Amino acid sequence: MKIIVCCKIVPDEQEIGVLPSKELDLSKASWKISQYDLNAIEAAKKLSSETSGFLTALSVGRSSALEGTKIRKDILSRGPEELALVIDDTHMFSDSLETAKAIAAALKSTDGFDVVLCGTGSGDLYSQEVGIQVGALLDIPTVNNVTDIRPNGNILEVERTLEDGIEVLEVTLPAVLSVTSDINVPSVPAMKEIMRAGKKPVHVLEVPLTDALPSINNLSQQVPDQQERRMIIIEGDDEEAVESLYQFLKKEIL
Amino acid sequence: MPFQSIFVISEKKESLYELCFGARKLSDQVTAVIFGDRTAAENVADCGAKCVLYCPTESCIPEDYCKAIASEVKKSPCALVLLNNSVRSRCIAGKLGAYLDTAVITCASEIVADNGDIVCKRTVYGGAAISSQAFTGSYGVITVGNGIFGDIDAKYPVTEKIEQISEKPECTVKIIARNEKKSGGTNLAAAKRIVDVGRGLASEEDLDMCNQLASLLDAEVGCSRPVAENNKWMPISNYIGLTGTTVKPDLLFALGVSGQVQHIAGINKSKVIVAINKDKNAPIFKNADFGIVGDIYKIVPALIKKLS
Ligand SMILES: Cc1cc2nc3c(=O)[nH]c(=O)nc-3n(C[C@H](O)[C@H](O)[C@H](O)COP(=O)(O)OP(=O)(O)OC[C@H]3O[C@@H](n4cnc5c(N)ncnc54)[C@H](O)[C@@H]3O)c2cc1C
Repeated sequence: MKIIVCCKIVPDEQEIGVLPSKELDLSKASWKISQYDLNAIEAAKKLSSETSGFLTALSVGRSSALEGTKIRKDILSRGPEELALVIDDTHMFSDSLETAKAIAAALKSTDGFDVVLCGTGSGDLYSQEVGIQVGALLDIPTVNNVTDIRPNGNILEVERTLEDGIEVLEVTLPAVLSVTSDINVPSVPAMKEIMRAGKKPVHVLEVPLTDALPSINNLSQQVPDQQERRMIIIEGDDEEAVESLYQFLKKEIL
Repeated sequence: MPFQSIFVISEKKESLYELCFGARKLSDQVTAVIFGDRTAAENVADCGAKCVLYCPTESCIPEDYCKAIASEVKKSPCALVLLNNSVRSRCIAGKLGAYLDTAVITCASEIVADNGDIVCKRTVYGGAAISSQAFTGSYGVITVGNGIFGDIDAKYPVTEKIEQISEKPECTVKIIARNEKKSGGTNLAAAKRIVDVGRGLASEEDLDMCNQLASLLDAEVGCSRPVAENNKWMPISNYIGLTGTTVKPDLLFALGVSGQVQHIAGINKSKVIVAINKDKNAPIFKNADFGIVGDIYKIVPALIKKLS
């Protein structure tokens, strides 16, 4: 089975600062694999080994995110045999359809696939729509919130968790699935895999993205007002600390 | 782009009324799309829509109607589509968006008409910022966050215009089983006091200690996303945060919660935040009114003794 797992490289949210103008300062944030794409990579690795398949990772983005060798090795150390990249600085990839069209274009330029896996949503924008839109653009079956994938010949039996129930669906291939963040616990790459990652091929695809136009205009982005907090912090878990906590609670609510 | 007409798509009756109420604030031309038979449509004829289109689902799932719905929407030269923010609605939204050549604005926290434009707000970067966005094309698809339109304080006439959607469904995935799941979670959004449990808790049995503290404080118990999702110690509906429930209690008591942005986004409307964490650099302390740098396994039992 030929499996392609999509992953987004995002700024580390813990390192995003705030400018005096109340806008975000992304300049100091390092790049990382979007947290919930790690679940997609893990699910893809499992599916690939169950089906004696071949796993390719695909990432679309701007050069600032995708040029680094460290991030490329990070992706490759987690299971994929090769990495395909679409690097394009004329796009912001800031709306779900723009990104989905870029991914669809990249997928069309490959020599075919059986399953595309995506994470539930990206750590920065979390629109949770890209996988579905890729499937719809390619006019192939697509399911979101997938919590289990069971290969059965050339179809997949897929479990999808809704707010009030669980559906078991039969999906013919090729298909695009978005998995949840609780489908598995991503494994930490072993030293051997990290060493091997540097030797795996990275293909920078030449895919024209002329169709991938934005359909959303970002008017402004503002940091919400921070709630004032008293920040009375005590160090130590002795009797004295517990007593001050007790007194605080008593004063506030009891 | 002024959107004259609005399509409201909903698989649930409550969200249909809520969305139609919100849609009517933006336009009089509201069409409701529901999944079920004519009787189901007649039951919601007073939702505020001019027309109710129904999509029978005895042999398929609602997603199978996406192309059919897109064709209906395209009969208007420009239109907005509103859905709730459930898993299924997001799937329908994404497909419709692709067919209507538009991105989806997911989980909008505000939708207002501004000089003929529809402007939406949504949270980005894990809660670090709020982005204001507008569609650039003739169509737009929005999934709407819970309760953003406020209480329904309008009554609408019953519409006579009830029609079956004209195109047939297109079955792309086959459903082979469906199990109802009891949600069973607590109503944290309305809770006055909450004990908020994080991954600092070492094992599921230790929830007993948290429950005991909660009952002494007359509080409900909520948790961080990984405690519900990865550990599965609590129902998914009990996790707090940007992508979970937003809470606004008088007291939020965080135990072993690190306080990542996505979690803070769900608790920062709390009046008082108390936190215990053994790491003095944990970001939760920047968001706490009172904090103790220490071990929950020492402090909580001692506090329980004092409270009992
Ligand atoms: C797109 C996206 C959306 C997300 N949405 C949400 C959301 O809505 N809600 C949410 O909660 N998370 C969300 N997350 C996850 C979030 O980033 C964090 O991973 C999560 O909140 C961390 O949970 P935690 O604080 O319980 O665990 P950890 O970060 O692992 O923190 C555990 C803490 O416990 C402390 N600790 C350990 N042992 C003890 C002890 N004995 N005594 C005292 N302290 C102890 C540690 O010092 C640590 O600070 C989201 C992530 C992404 C990428």
